[in-house]
Amino acid sequence: MSEDFEVRKMREGDVAQVIDMIRRLKLLNQEFDPTFQVAEPPVEEVSDSLHEAMKQEKQHILLVADTGGRAVGIVKADIHDRIHYLPRQEARITEFYVMPEFRRKNLGRKLISELYRELRKREITMVSAEFPSLNLIALGFYKGLGYRDLVSVYGRHLD
Amino acid sequence: MPEQKDNDQSDEAKRTERFKELALRYSRYYKGKVDTFPKVPVRQLNDFSIWYTPGVAAVSLEIAKNRDLSFELTGRWNSIAILTDGTRVLGLGNVGPEAAMAVMEGKALIFNYLGAVNAIPIPVRAQDREQFISVATALEPSFGGFNLEDIESPKCFYIQEKLQKALTIPVWHDDQLGTACITLAGMINSLRVVGKKISDARVVLMGSGAANIATARLIIAAGVRPGNLIMVDSRGVIDNERKDLDGMMVNNPWKYELALATNSDRIRGEAANAFKGADVVLSASRQGPGTIKEEWISSMNRDAVVFALANPVPEIWPREAIGAGARVVATGRSDFPNQINNSLVFPGVFRGALDARASGVNVDIMLAASTQIADFVKEPGPEKIVPTMEEWELYPSVASAVAFRASELGFARKSGSRESFYRTAHEKIEENRKMYRRMLEEKYIRELPGGDVNE
Repeated sequence: MSEDFEVRKMREGDVAQVIDMIRRLKLLNQEFDPTFQVAEPPVEEVSDSLHEAMKQEKQHILLVADTGGRAVGIVKADIHDRIHYLPRQEARITEFYVMPEFRRKNLGRKLISELYRELRKREITMVSAEFPSLNLIALGFYKGLGYRDLVSVYGRHLD
Repeated sequence: MPEQKDNDQSDEAKRTERFKELALRYSRYYKGKVDTFPKVPVRQLNDFSIWYTPGVAAVSLEIAKNRDLSFELTGRWNSIAILTDGTRVLGLGNVGPEAAMAVMEGKALIFNYLGAVNAIPIPVRAQDREQFISVATALEPSFGGFNLEDIESPKCFYIQEKLQKALTIPVWHDDQLGTACITLAGMINSLRVVGKKISDARVVLMGSGAANIATARLIIAAGVRPGNLIMVDSRGVIDNERKDLDGMMVNNPWKYELALATNSDRIRGEAANAFKGADVVLSASRQGPGTIKEEWISSMNRDAVVFALANPVPEIWPREAIGAGARVVATGRSDFPNQINNSLVFPGVFRGALDARASGVNVDIMLAASTQIADFVKEPGPEKIVPTMEEWELYPSVASAVAFRASELGFARKSGSRESFYRTAHEKIEENRKMYRRMLEEKYIRELPGGDVNE
């Protein structure tokens, strides 16, 4: 197995692999908190939303870690406008996943640094990450990168 | 053949029912299987002034100055606790600590009978793993070792790891480590019989419970290449892209680590796929027969080695496995050749660990025990890959291997040569056996009610 990884923009050919990774991410969230019960959306629906995001380059950044032509890691960030705060733009990481066998190779950090590079090019200086509060792995990862708790979103099911 | 299988099953079922009936009857009669009994002379009541206050105060003060003297001046040197929370007792599941006591007493009996170890059964009511750890930690000053027993997986891994790190006495979870040691010993000799190298062997671990996870870790330490190892669980072959891998990472990181390290050929799908071209199958899975199919064995490499360890009915009957091409077959049962039995391991391991006053046990010590058990069989053959429980010299020989390795590794409070550890263990076990025989002869241990019918 090649240990050479390249982080690049997501392409059409990556869609199937990225859908698989996003689904794995959601299942992991469910492991930590059953409130995030994973639905089974039709593949076309997920695929369409990814295609849409790929098209809207100003609003979304989609990067994959590639080894031997195969996407084995994904980071997706959405760009938000902040009306009341400075800086006026913020990138929020909403999807982030590395396939199990490629973990512990610093691939996650590599994906994040490439994302930062892309953000700097766009002069975006604020980045946040969204993940279920009980996902301890995500919590540890982002804390390790210097992130802290910024916003709390509380929720419950209605009886 | 089917008729013979039916007979085997029905005989076994009858035997099991008979054992259960006797166990209940005898338990009502004896009301417990072990007891503590004085070992110092009380010539007159005044002797209590030596064994108890005021004389004993001097002993306490000495130990207070140097806690390790508790191994010299009290019974700690030979005492272990058998700790359980009763969450996975035999195949019965979570029966609770009170019900677990009957089983733990049985274990204590074996510890004493085969290893001359003073084992105290202590089932614990613990709400969670942290409370269990806290109870065990609090008990450490009274014992020279802990044998963890019948704790559900994966909690057992967490408890064992935490206690091993925190305590300065050996912590052994027999369902994991004992099983792993005897399985490795059997595998070493099986490979000797079929003339294959451990580093070349392709090994299937069927079942991914505590025993097989521990076995996987031990056989890798013994030289099996991780990539040559394929784990199978109830969902099929474990490969590093299986969808439930992240769930495993969260809930059973020990299994997850193995999932990432093993199966370099990326075999996927149903269990049958794992068997193709394999040299060894170590199964600790669902009771059979039929859990392992004959055609799976036929698809293995020549001179296949099959351990079908489910009890009481193995995953495949030995005769079927041999008929399908297996050269060596082992089970967990005493009525077939090659019984893979923890009792060949834990009495000697604890005898040795206690004799060396070991502060812990690790994988090197387990390898020493397994190798010793394998080497104990002078001429391994397809029907003789492990010793039997009647081979009494086994226990002191395992004890000496463990004690000596512990002292080599710097884990021992007492050092010595392998021969001296052997002599110590041998004498202790012999002395204990003599005492026990004498007590039986003198009828201090009451005869079985209704005569000796355990045939």
